[in-house]
Amino acid sequence: MAEPSRGLQISRRGWLLASLLAPLFPARGADAPIVTFDGDNLHVSSLGVHFLRGKSLNRLKEGSTVEYVAAISLFRDQFVTLLKRTEAHFLVSYDVLGTGDVFAVSTPGPPPRKAMNLSLSATETWCLENVEISAAGIARDRQFWLQLELRAQPPKLSPVLGPEGISVDLIEVLTPGADERQTFRAGPLRLADLVRTPRKGRAG
Amino acid sequence: MKYALPGCLLLASLLFAGPQDGDRNVNARYTVETVIVSGKGWTTNLQSQTTNKISTGLLHQLTAIIGQKLNPDALDTLAANLKKELNARQVTHRLVPGEAPEQVRVEFDVRPARASLGMNVNQLLYNSKQGWSGSGEAAVTVQQHIFAIGLVSNGDWLPERFSGIVARYEDKSLGTDRLSFKFEAESVRSQWNQATESALAANPQEAPALYRARLRFQPTATVVLAKPLTLTVGARIERFEDQSPAAEFEGANAAIVSLHYHQTIESPGNQQEVDADCSLHAATRVLNSDYVYAMRSAGFRYLFRSGKHIVTDNAWAGFISGQAPLSDRFVLGNTYYLRGWNKFEIDPLGGNRAVHNSVEYHYGPFQAFYDVGAVWDESQPIVARHSVGLGVRESVFSLAVAIPMRSGHVEPIFIMGILP
Repeated sequence: MAEPSRGLQISRRGWLLASLLAPLFPARGADAPIVTFDGDNLHVSSLGVHFLRGKSLNRLKEGSTVEYVAAISLFRDQFVTLLKRTEAHFLVSYDVLGTGDVFAVSTPGPPPRKAMNLSLSATETWCLENVEISAAGIARDRQFWLQLELRAQPPKLSPVLGPEGISVDLIEVLTPGADERQTFRAGPLRLADLVRTPRKGRAG
Repeated sequence: MKYALPGCLLLASLLFAGPQDGDRNVNARYTVETVIVSGKGWTTNLQSQTTNKISTGLLHQLTAIIGQKLNPDALDTLAANLKKELNARQVTHRLVPGEAPEQVRVEFDVRPARASLGMNVNQLLYNSKQGWSGSGEAAVTVQQHIFAIGLVSNGDWLPERFSGIVARYEDKSLGTDRLSFKFEAESVRSQWNQATESALAANPQEAPALYRARLRFQPTATVVLAKPLTLTVGARIERFEDQSPAAEFEGANAAIVSLHYHQTIESPGNQQEVDADCSLHAATRVLNSDYVYAMRSAGFRYLFRSGKHIVTDNAWAGFISGQAPLSDRFVLGNTYYLRGWNKFEIDPLGGNRAVHNSVEYHYGPFQAFYDVGAVWDESQPIVARHSVGLGVRESVFSLAVAIPMRSGHVEPIFIMGILP
């Protein structure tokens, strides 16, 4: 009978230390998106990236249109020196009479594109398939870092024009609703190491 | 004139800024079955019920979407209007399935405010004869209480240009919704046009002396006698600092009584509004007033709206007995009365008799108007003057060209800005 390995045993003090330090080290693996390269542009896979949630999802389910912004930034070094950045806007709505979760999404363009009858995850995938950043000017063997930022635009402020003139609600202006923002980071990356995907037309 | 072109461009950009595309929300294909507004302890289904918590104008906007294809962007505007009118902390809206297929119910949820802080620009206008006028304030609202303090500079409304500080306190529900209280205070410096100074020098008996500053306090209480008839009673205590080197002070202390009636009549396809008021300001020695006078005025306004067409008639008359301070004398030839005429040409000291009528026609943002009026003193002959004008008005933004109808040289007056 083999003797239990003492090397795998963790003391009670070790468990305590680990449980105290755990919140300081979020699961970085889940935050790192999968980046692909189609020969011209970089794409971010929707695998593990979820942004239709929280208050913005509640607003969608109440029938409002919610604008989401997806921004991809490339950095020369570890998220300090920006190389390039691109941003895409998506208008998402939820069919309140639909059976199950049925979403619609559109981009203002150009060119304007839209898709309907999508599930929640299909909507997230559609959005990420429609945001890309050119890899032109980046050598195949050069290291770079990528950041994907997703945020839901907060509801519009009240209009300032009224029958008695122009009015601004300072409390509303000074305490805007927190925009829901998520950041995903990947790197260091090299074009030569990335999964190659075929060049394709945009979804829509 | 130099402000006319930028003003046109600003107004045009506001007029032709198109609405957001309704297609961007998948629910835009559904029809609105009904609108339900809910607050703390109350709910109104506007398809079958009405409520006195919301003004007629806003009710009209809310019910107008019933039976129409849903415009999600319009819901944001309606929620904002409800928030403003009900002084709510937040108004949210949501869509829920209606009873009939392809129909949705719109539900507004009103959450009452504990307190709010706002900045208001009540007026900002340019008149090519009188120059700029403006007023703005910062207001704190705590439940039914409003505290506001602001600045004003106005060269349009009175014979003088007055600039200074204004403040007010309002309690919109003094124990009961039928009774409200307001206290207004104003401390301003006065500047006089040369035409006014010359007219007074030539005829010192016609009006009292010029002053360099005014301080006014005005508490009033308004009671709803029988909806829609209200009675306002109060007092006005005003002190004038004379322009003389000795800087003497004179007081004008008056009791105020006014009646106001407002009725809206809705019928299929059109809307009518009737608005009437009459008021009396009586300043007597009993109130320790140096000026002794009584000012009576009455006004009547009628509005007919059908689709984009709006016709209004606005009649008003005033009569002063005794000698009122210059700030209480009637002025025509400004941005509201006898537009197109210059008040300093008509009567630089104002008059103690005045009558005015204005007819306006609006089609969408475009407007045309015809004003007729006269201002005079009891010893003077009555001279009726006329003017016509064209313009555009969108929300509170207005741009108009007014032309006095007279023989000889005609000089139009441009009026633009924010007019409540």
